[in-house]
Amino acid sequence: MSFDPIPYDTFSAFIHFLSVFGSAMLLALIVCLIVGVITRGTKGITDVFMAIGDFFVQIFHLSCRRIWSLSVLTIRESLRQKILFVFIIFAVLFMFAGWFLSGAADRPDLQIQSYIDFVLKAISWLVIPIMLLLACWSLPEDIRLRTIHTVVTKPTYRIEIVMGRMLGFTLLGSVILLVMGTVGYIWINRQVPESAQYQLVSKVPVYGKIAFTDREGAPTTAGINVGDVWMYRSYIEGATKARAIYTFEGIDPGDAIDDKLVLQSSFEAFRTHKGNMEKGGILYQFIFVNEDKNLRVPTRPLVNKEYSENVLEVNRKIKDDDAEGGEGVELDIFDDLVDKDGNLTVEVQCLEAGQLLGMARPDLFVRTPDRAFVVGYSKAVLGIWMPMVLVIMLGVTISCFVKGPVAILTTLTVVMVGFMSKEYMNEILSGKMEAAGAIEAWYRLITHMNSQTELPAGPVKVIIETVDAGIINFLWLCQQVIPNFGIFSNMREYVIKGFDVSWSAALLPGIATTAAYILPCLIVSFYSLKLRELEAK
Amino acid sequence: MNNLSSKHRKLAYVIAIIILLIPVIWLGMPSTGEEGSGGQLAQLRVKHELGESTLGDVDPSSASMNFVLLGLRGIATNLLWIDANEYQKKKDWAKLRSTVDSIILLQPHYMKVWDFQGWNLAYNVSAEWDAVEDRYFWVKEGIKFLNEGVTRNERYPELDWKVGNLHGQKVGRSDEWRQFRRFYKVDPDTERYEGGPDPEINPDRLDNYQVAKEHFLIANDKELKHKQHLQMRMLFRGSPWHAQFDYANAMQREGTFGKQRTDAWKRGFDEWTEIYGREEFITPKGPIVLEWTDADIKALAARDESITEEDVRHWTNRYQDTSNYRFWRTRALSESEETTIKAHKDIYDGEQLFRSGKFDEAKAKLEEGMALYATVLNKYPSLLSEDLAIEEGLQAVILWRYIHDLKGLQVPASFPLKPLWNKEQGRVPELENDLRRRYGIQ
Repeated sequence: MSFDPIPYDTFSAFIHFLSVFGSAMLLALIVCLIVGVITRGTKGITDVFMAIGDFFVQIFHLSCRRIWSLSVLTIRESLRQKILFVFIIFAVLFMFAGWFLSGAADRPDLQIQSYIDFVLKAISWLVIPIMLLLACWSLPEDIRLRTIHTVVTKPTYRIEIVMGRMLGFTLLGSVILLVMGTVGYIWINRQVPESAQYQLVSKVPVYGKIAFTDREGAPTTAGINVGDVWMYRSYIEGATKARAIYTFEGIDPGDAIDDKLVLQSSFEAFRTHKGNMEKGGILYQFIFVNEDKNLRVPTRPLVNKEYSENVLEVNRKIKDDDAEGGEGVELDIFDDLVDKDGNLTVEVQCLEAGQLLGMARPDLFVRTPDRAFVVGYSKAVLGIWMPMVLVIMLGVTISCFVKGPVAILTTLTVVMVGFMSKEYMNEILSGKMEAAGAIEAWYRLITHMNSQTELPAGPVKVIIETVDAGIINFLWLCQQVIPNFGIFSNMREYVIKGFDVSWSAALLPGIATTAAYILPCLIVSFYSLKLRELEAK
Repeated sequence: MNNLSSKHRKLAYVIAIIILLIPVIWLGMPSTGEEGSGGQLAQLRVKHELGESTLGDVDPSSASMNFVLLGLRGIATNLLWIDANEYQKKKDWAKLRSTVDSIILLQPHYMKVWDFQGWNLAYNVSAEWDAVEDRYFWVKEGIKFLNEGVTRNERYPELDWKVGNLHGQKVGRSDEWRQFRRFYKVDPDTERYEGGPDPEINPDRLDNYQVAKEHFLIANDKELKHKQHLQMRMLFRGSPWHAQFDYANAMQREGTFGKQRTDAWKRGFDEWTEIYGREEFITPKGPIVLEWTDADIKALAARDESITEEDVRHWTNRYQDTSNYRFWRTRALSESEETTIKAHKDIYDGEQLFRSGKFDEAKAKLEEGMALYATVLNKYPSLLSEDLAIEEGLQAVILWRYIHDLKGLQVPASFPLKPLWNKEQGRVPELENDLRRRYGIQ
C-alpha cells in the first residue's frame, strides 16, 4: 500500500557513472591499441588516436540543419511504415477497457487507482515496443536496401546520421505519447464519478525521518515485529511509552494549507484482542515536541482508519492545555513548535492497551498545498517518455552493429532485464541470495541438495566456485551496463497513489539514467557505423 | 514435374478442396442452437455439455483474452497469480482485486480459482482490515466474486454451496457476527444503499441464513445433475436445513424469542424430517432413508435379495450418526416447546441483566433458566451430544457461580444442571475464558 521515496544521491551517482564509463573507455582504448599494434604495428597507435580525434571533430562540426533533415526523413519513413496504426490498437483498448476494469473493487478510491494504472500501462506497453521495433529495424533495413547510400554519399557525418535517427524517432514518439497521454487524461476524468473527482489531485508530501522508543521510553532502532511477512512497518505498543518519532526538516508557513498544518497518516493496526469493534479503528495521538522550548503539545485522540487517508488539519494557532485541564497559552505551530533548526518533531502514540500501531517512514507526512492532477499525471507520462528515449537510443545504437532481427532481440533482452531483473540481480550480487551461483544451483538441483547445506569440499567445489565467480563478475558487468528501467515504473506508482511525482526520488534519477546513456550510445554507434561495411547486406 | 497443364492442376486442386471440405463440414459445422443441428463435433459438444456456453455465461472479454493468448494462458495465469500474492503481501488491495479479475478472465471455468480467490477475499483480505465496516466490504467482495463464478459455471454445485457458506457461516459465525448480521440488512454505506442492504448481496432484505439456504437449495438442485466433490453427498444435501436451524438459532442468540423464532424451528423440523429425512441415500448396502418406519426398512431391503433388514438398519444408524440426524431432529422438536423457549429466554435475560450490573435479578433469572434447561435435557437426553446445547447450559452455570463469587455467597451444593456441570468439567476453563472476554471480566 505504501512506497518509500528515498532521495537520489546525484553526486555519488555521477561518480559511479564516471568510474564505470571511464574504466570502460580505458579498457576499450587498451584493446584498440593492442589490436592496432598487432594488425598495423606502430602505425596502429596513430590510427587509434586519429579515430578518437575523428569523433571529437564530428561532434564539434555538427550541423543542426543536417540533423534536422535526417530527423524529418526518419519521421517520414516511419509514417510510411504505418506507425500511426498504433492509434487503432489504442482506441480499441480504451473502447473496451471498461470490460476489464469494471470488475475492480467497488470503491471509488480503488477504482481510480485501477484506471490510472491501466492508462499509464497501456500507453507505455504500446509506445515503447513500437519505438523499439522502429529504432532497431530502421538502419539495418536502410543498409540492406542500400538506401543508406543516398545519405552517406551526401556531406553528412556518421554521428549526424545516428543523431538524426535518434531525434526523429524521439520526436515521433513524443507526439504519439502526447496524443495518447491527452486521451488517457480525458478518459480518466470521464471515468471517475463526480463524487470522487476530488480524489484526482497530486498531493505534495514532506516526508520526515523516523525513530522509535520502546515501551520503557528508551530509544530503539525499530518497533515491535508482529510477525507480518512484509516487514515494512514497525509497531508501537499502546498505552505504554513506546513512540514513533517523526522529524520533518525545513517546515515553514509556506507548507500550511489555509493556515493549517495538514498531517496525513496511513498506519496499520495490529490487535491482540478484539477491543471496541464499533469505533472503526484504534485510537492514537500526535504530540508536537519542541525540545528547545521544552514544549509537548498533544492533539486530540484520533481514530486510525486503516488503508485510508487519515488527515488531521491543525490550526496554526493551537492551545497548549495544561495537565490539570486548564486552558493554556496559545502557540503558533511554525513559530513555537518548529525548533530553531526548522525541524518539526511529531511523536505518535497508540492509546489503547494491548493494541499495536504499525508505521514506516512514509506513513506520516506533512501535506503541503496540492497540485492539480494534471501535474502529477504529466510527470508520469514523462516517466514513459524517458524510457522510450532510452529504448530508442539503445535500439539505434545496437542496430548500428547488428542486423535488424538481432538488434530487436538484443534490445528487447536489455529492456526486459532492465525492467524485470534488476532487483533479482542486485539480490544475487549483494550476497543476500543463498547458493546464487548458476553452476552451484544446477549442482544442487541435480543432487537434491538444499541451499543451507555446505558444498562438499574437494575439486568439485573449487571448480564450481571458480566458474561461478566468473559468471557473477559477468553479471556485475551486466548490472552496471544495463539501465534500470524500474526507476521509470516508480513514477507511475506516485500518480496511482495520488501523489505528485517526487523530483528528488523519481524524476531526477530518471533524467540522470536517461542522460547517462547519451554519450556512451553516441560513441558506440559512431564507431560501429564508421567501421561497418555498408555494402554488406 | 508432371504432365498436367496449369489449368488441369488448378481443377485438381478445386476438386481436392471440395472433397476435403465434405468431412470438414460434416464434422465441424457450427450448431444453430437447436437440438441436433450442426456438425458431429457440435452435436457431441452439446451432448456432453462441453461448449463454452453450456458451462455458463460467456464473458466476451474472457473469451477474447484466451483467444489472443493462444496456449499461453496457463503461464499468464501463473504470472498473475504470483503478482496477486505479492500485492496481497504488500497490502495493495486495488491491484490485488484487479489482478484476481484478470486471472478469472483467463481461467473462467476453473472451479478452484473461483473457490480459492473468493475465500481469500472474504476471509484473508477481510481480516487484514481493522474497521468492521471495511471487513464487511471485503466479505461482500468475496461473495460477489463467487456469484460471478456461479453465473459463469452452471455445472459446479460446489460454487453455489460456497456462496451459501459465505452468506451463512462467514456473515453469521465470524467474530464480528453481530455487526455483520446488522450490516447484512443495513449496509454501512448508508448513503449509497439508502439505509438498506447491498442489493447484490441481499436483494430481498432477508436474514443471511435465509439467503444461505436459498443458495444451498440451488446447489442441491444442481447436484442432482452434476456430481459435487466437496463432501459426503448426504452431508452436502443437508446444508439448506442446517441453514434453517442456524437461522432459528441466530434469532435466539440475538434475544428474539417470539413467534418468528418458534416458526423457524418448526419449519426446520418439518423440512428436516419430511424432505431431508425422506431422501434416499446410497450406502454400501443399498439405499436408506434417515427418517424411517419399519415399513420403509422392509421395502428398502426387499429391493435387493442380498440385503437384509438388519443391513438397512445398520447403515441407517451409521448415516444418522454421521449427519447428527437424531440430535437435530430432537433439537428442532424441543425448540418448539414452551419450556425450552422459556429456558433459553431466561438464560438470555440473565446474561443481559448481568451485563447491566443487576446481579440479584440476573442470578434469579439464571436459576429459573437453569432449572428449565435441566428439565429439557432430562426430557431430551440426546441433546447432550451437541456442543452448542452443552455449552449453553455450562455458560449459564459459570455466570451464575461468578455472581455468587461477586456477592461473596456460597455456591449451593446442589443446583440444577449439576450433573451436566460435573460431567463436562473439561470444557469449563475454555468457556470461562470465553466469558471473561465477552463480559470484560479481568
